[in-house]
Amino acid sequence: MPDHQDADEPGVLRLGRRSFGPAEFALMAIVNRTPDSFFDRGATFATEAAYEAIDQAVADGADLVDIGGVKAGYGEPVSEDEELRRTVDFVAGIRERHPELVISVDTYRSGVARRVGAAGADLINDTWAGADPEIPAAAAEYGTGLVCSHVGGLTPRTDPHRMAYDDVVADVIRTTTALAERAVAAGVRRDGILIDPTHDFGKNTLQSLELTRRLDELAATGWPVLVAVSNKDFIGETLDLPPGQRGSGTLAALTVSAWLGARVFRVHDVPAAQQALDLVAVLRGAAQPAGTRRSLA
Amino acid sequence: MPIVSAAVCPHPPLLVPEIAGGAAAELDDLRAACLAAIDQLADADTLVIVGSGTTTGARYDASAGGTFGPYGAPGVQVGSGEPVLPLSLTMGAWLVNQSKAAGLPRLLITVAADETPAACLELGQELAHGNERVALLVMGDGSARRSEHSPVHLHPRAEIFDTTVAAALDLADTTTLSALDPDLATTLQAVGRAPWQVLAGATATTPLQGNLTHHTAPYGVGYFVASWT
Repeated sequence: MPDHQDADEPGVLRLGRRSFGPAEFALMAIVNRTPDSFFDRGATFATEAAYEAIDQAVADGADLVDIGGVKAGYGEPVSEDEELRRTVDFVAGIRERHPELVISVDTYRSGVARRVGAAGADLINDTWAGADPEIPAAAAEYGTGLVCSHVGGLTPRTDPHRMAYDDVVADVIRTTTALAERAVAAGVRRDGILIDPTHDFGKNTLQSLELTRRLDELAATGWPVLVAVSNKDFIGETLDLPPGQRGSGTLAALTVSAWLGARVFRVHDVPAAQQALDLVAVLRGAAQPAGTRRSLA
Repeated sequence: MPIVSAAVCPHPPLLVPEIAGGAAAELDDLRAACLAAIDQLADADTLVIVGSGTTTGARYDASAGGTFGPYGAPGVQVGSGEPVLPLSLTMGAWLVNQSKAAGLPRLLITVAADETPAACLELGQELAHGNERVALLVMGDGSARRSEHSPVHLHPRAEIFDTTVAAALDLADTTTLSALDPDLATTLQAVGRAPWQVLAGATATTPLQGNLTHHTAPYGVGYFVASWT
């Protein structure tokens, strides 16, 4: 896709060969190189299946893909070597096949961030909120962007237990913007940094709902907001539905987030999200309807 | 006069129906067991509620504010004024307010979650001094590492630790409670250890009859209700 953005325009997010204006939505497809992630349960652990999933995501309209080599939640330990084995060659392979695609890697290890940066990754999705303090330096070194997350002080791959916040939104803003400024200070490109409230991580369902309801406050910080709500437990607990049946709830949370100013959306189901976001874009006045013939002839 | 009765209850935020929502019924039995145990404290002259906090010996009266806002239910509060109570005491006050002991004069006191056993026992002995007939409500939870689906990873010693505590609460075995290892309790994320040792200190010289009325871990966290009379 050609790049129409003026290089000096404020609020533009630049990742890889792509630029995303402030009113533009970007879709990030999840492709896990894990045997045990909660939603896909290993569907794309094998290399060929993973490449096919990438091709499909691109065909469906994904702007970014997010590659994960370690299940987010508690599970079998994954060594750094094993994480590298699952991600580095894969990133290089995607880079070769899809030069325009923004490649994000979901990792909390700076060693992995460096190696995938060298292999062609454009964005480091540090879901565990700077647990490894060398992550920003790694992103800076390879010119990749960085996602700054909020996990309420949890250590990687642990679940929340009675997390308490005087104001969860204020805590998220304070934490993610501090990480973003720290990243800038470490040399990460300012126009490659996103903040992510990181629903469910270090939060109970009521807290994740509150973050969704007040997402405009995060957007008002000026940092581009990434939301990763797809099929998460806060949707499941809200609707009393298991992971396989949260698609419609996911779209509702996605739609509200988009309306309130989120810009990047990490999803399992790209076509469904694309349709919802296309409609929100028109409602917000950022795009025109595809064609309006009804009652006009 | 010494401690004349005691109740032991857990303090998961999930116990509050406004927080649990549709899951509230799952803890109906636990909530009922807590209230039944607290009802038995109503004959005392005064009530002391002990719960874990960040420091030892912070004291509050019945007017002290507590809120479940930090867990997502700002509308559920106890006392009045600025919220100052930790979760354990907020839950204690919330339960007492629904019980037959609601009208008793009330002191709420914290014990640091990492307090030494000796200091816990000493605090307990101090609470047992005086002329009033004191009832004790002790707020504390077992290990948060009980199962594969626990909030914190399963720990192989969690089950035996909680079973030991359960037996001690059933027998009013203050020796066992006094001997609980604080480092192990920290590892197992059993926040009840310090408050239970305050209970042990408070009743060491005037033994009560123990009765464990509830012990479950439906979400991988150990919940105990006991009634000492």
